[in-house]
Amino acid sequence: MFWKKRSGGDDNKLVIFFASDLHGSTVCFKKFIGGAKFYGADVLVMGGDMTGKAVMPIAEQADGSYLAFSGGRTTTLPDRDEAEAFAKRVTDMGFYPATMSEADYRRLKDDPATQDALFRRLVVERVVEWSGYVGEKLQGTGVPFITAPGNDDFAEIDEVLRRSPHVQYHEMEVTELRGLEVLHCGGSTKTPWDTEREYTEAEYRERFDRLLPQVKDMRRCIFNVHVPPHGTVLDQCPELDENLQVVFNMGTPVQMHAGSSTLYEVIETHQPLLGLHGHIHEGRGNIKIGKTVCVNPGSVYPEGILQGVLVTLAGGEVRAVQMTQG
Amino acid sequence: MSTTSGGGDDKRIFLRKASGLIRMASPFDTFIFNIGLVSVGLGVGTIMFYGPAYYAGGNLLVACIVAGVAMACIAFGMITWTVTLPRSGGIYVFGSRSLPPFLALTLSLVEITAWLFYCAIAAYWIIILGVGPTLAMIGYVTGSEWAAGAAAGVVQPWPMFLIGSAILVLSGVILAAGMKRYLLTQKIVFVTALIGSLLLIVVLLGGSRADFMTEFNLLMDPILGVENAYDAIIASAKENGWGADGADWATTILVSNWAFLPLIGAAFSIAIGGEVKSVEKSQTYGMLGAIVGTVAIWLITIALADSVFGYEFLGAAVYNLLGGVGIATPTDPSITLMAGILTNSWLVTLLVSIGLIFWMWMWIPGMHTFAVRALVAWAFDRIAPAPLGTISSTRHTPTVAIVVSVIVTIVFMALFVFTSFFKTIIILIEAAVLAWSVVLLAGIFFPYTRPHIYEKSPIARRTILGLPMMTVACALGFAASQFYFWTLFFDDVAAGHATNQMLIVGGVFAIGVVFYFVMKAVRRSQGIDVTLAFKEIPIE
Repeated sequence: MFWKKRSGGDDNKLVIFFASDLHGSTVCFKKFIGGAKFYGADVLVMGGDMTGKAVMPIAEQADGSYLAFSGGRTTTLPDRDEAEAFAKRVTDMGFYPATMSEADYRRLKDDPATQDALFRRLVVERVVEWSGYVGEKLQGTGVPFITAPGNDDFAEIDEVLRRSPHVQYHEMEVTELRGLEVLHCGGSTKTPWDTEREYTEAEYRERFDRLLPQVKDMRRCIFNVHVPPHGTVLDQCPELDENLQVVFNMGTPVQMHAGSSTLYEVIETHQPLLGLHGHIHEGRGNIKIGKTVCVNPGSVYPEGILQGVLVTLAGGEVRAVQMTQG
Repeated sequence: MSTTSGGGDDKRIFLRKASGLIRMASPFDTFIFNIGLVSVGLGVGTIMFYGPAYYAGGNLLVACIVAGVAMACIAFGMITWTVTLPRSGGIYVFGSRSLPPFLALTLSLVEITAWLFYCAIAAYWIIILGVGPTLAMIGYVTGSEWAAGAAAGVVQPWPMFLIGSAILVLSGVILAAGMKRYLLTQKIVFVTALIGSLLLIVVLLGGSRADFMTEFNLLMDPILGVENAYDAIIASAKENGWGADGADWATTILVSNWAFLPLIGAAFSIAIGGEVKSVEKSQTYGMLGAIVGTVAIWLITIALADSVFGYEFLGAAVYNLLGGVGIATPTDPSITLMAGILTNSWLVTLLVSIGLIFWMWMWIPGMHTFAVRALVAWAFDRIAPAPLGTISSTRHTPTVAIVVSVIVTIVFMALFVFTSFFKTIIILIEAAVLAWSVVLLAGIFFPYTRPHIYEKSPIARRTILGLPMMTVACALGFAASQFYFWTLFFDDVAAGHATNQMLIVGGVFAIGVVFYFVMKAVRRSQGIDVTLAFKEIPIE
């Protein structure tokens, strides 16, 4: 024989479509769900950070027009139709539009507590809406939708997603997937923004100490871990100062690594089949740590473009990794 | 239709603490990136070198303005593209969203082939227009036989190839060392090059035609064995056919090719679209600023050089030397050499030369970077072998893609140095201009063919004469790029249309098409459909 036949046929081939960090972008989320049919994926895995970052008040004025913020300046929307079109546009970009009177807007802007409550309500509403969309599109297809939380995800969405019959929401669990295992570990290491779910390296060590014993066969285990491994291209990003400004050295932006060194050690030591990561939007790429393939699709959600990764598994190995921009 | 106010109001947005993408490049960074790839000094060097010699009668100042206006139109089109699709990767990104996949790849391949060819040309020019004349001038001024011998030696084929290859390898090493080191070296090089250019202007401001003629004759009369070498060179060139009667619009348009060629670099920030913050502002200031700044420096330098050295002399000296006729200077009569003669100072010669060399150098890693980014993007999309996308685990740089780019440029360098055929062609620029032209043509229709993408663009609601801004901008850009495609086509000095050379251009396009379909077949056999990487997922 002049060639070696690969172990295992394609009978047990599994195509995973993975994306992460959509941050409230409805158009990207709908594309992600559409990716199952479009790419012929068997499984959809969302790496966390489903929730967005900004509420966009649309304030109704006495003359029937609306004021909103767009492109760095205040925009006047002349009528309700324009206001609704604006709301749809910003929804696609990941914002949460909130139509209100000018008086309500002025009260709200000086009331952080009420702002926060509004934020959380709108985030939950969108997650409910997305969960319904998952059911509408995936019901009967046999394609599961699997997700774990990112560091930016409010705790309020956990209950919504767990209750959804169409979403497999897991955190700090090891689950079964068509003969494979999936280890789910959300959140991230500490960030300058002090976000919802952040852990120290020591806490990550404890988390993996709890999860790793649950894995039966590491060679058939997929890590669905929001944070990427430290010191790789998957976690490279600009360093920020205490004012959240990019640090420059001799006129050059200073780069740093924001992933988890504990995770790197765990992958290097235990060699799982695959690592699915997100968190660092600039960290698009795929690498190998030992034999483990690790991917981060990155994210450009404000542009309405879905960055993803198609991973083909067969015969107990990663057969193909293909980056997508759909 | 909504209207906007220029601020003064509070920011009507409630933000929460959340992590996310940080874009780095500011308007100034973008400007530096572009003006470095224009290579201000190289532009002056080539315009003053080839312009008066081969385009006698052409007005160099008008030519620079014409090229600047045309490039501004092209930049306008590219700005609307990169604002609409603010991602890194240049025309590959734009083409993959608007054209059939095979064409997007082909245009990208054509483009990077041209830029890599320019890397080799820049290394060649560093030796011919920079190192050689500098050593010669130092030899004349100091009486150093070693310098004079070295000046003659470096322009021989093998030394030229080895030095050129070393320059290209150095660029690869810097890129492989990481983006941080690359950007740092580029900024140091930029400042040094700018100082060299400003010094040249100062030298020219302090000199006069009479000073230059005196110094030139003093130095060259004994070397050339004639009296009044300055006038003798002009006279012998005219006897051998050089010269024209007054200004000529057609010649001015043709000589503007030499201004247009480097100006293309002013739009190269499309390659880093994904890394630019405040993309609309940064790209607009970055591109248009680079064009305006470059043309301004050119106009000042050319006007002063004309005044001090004389248009006739500059043209005659190069015409004689390159044509092998009449009385010729013993080395290339570059502007560096002339400045050195004017001041009779080895230090000024050295500083001005270093400035010119550094301007040319800025092209090399810049062009390499452009190609490397495209290769990595192809590898990500699985239309190129996966190793091209491999990132070094220690340096975090795409080492394989860098090595491949450097090797390709060394091959181009060999072709340029060792074959007479490639030595005269810059025709690949026509192919690159054509590739940009196709993308700009696609941009005219983009707001209509991809409305769901265009409506998210910050310029989606802006119109000019009732048409989408992108349509108008890309139409202007398409017209300007077509203008220069045909201007280059009919300019046998800068590019031309000789049959065998056109076959090379056609061959590069053909290679791109074949490469795409071969990789598509290979990937299909591996169970990968490469077309998926290009397609937008429909929302049903």
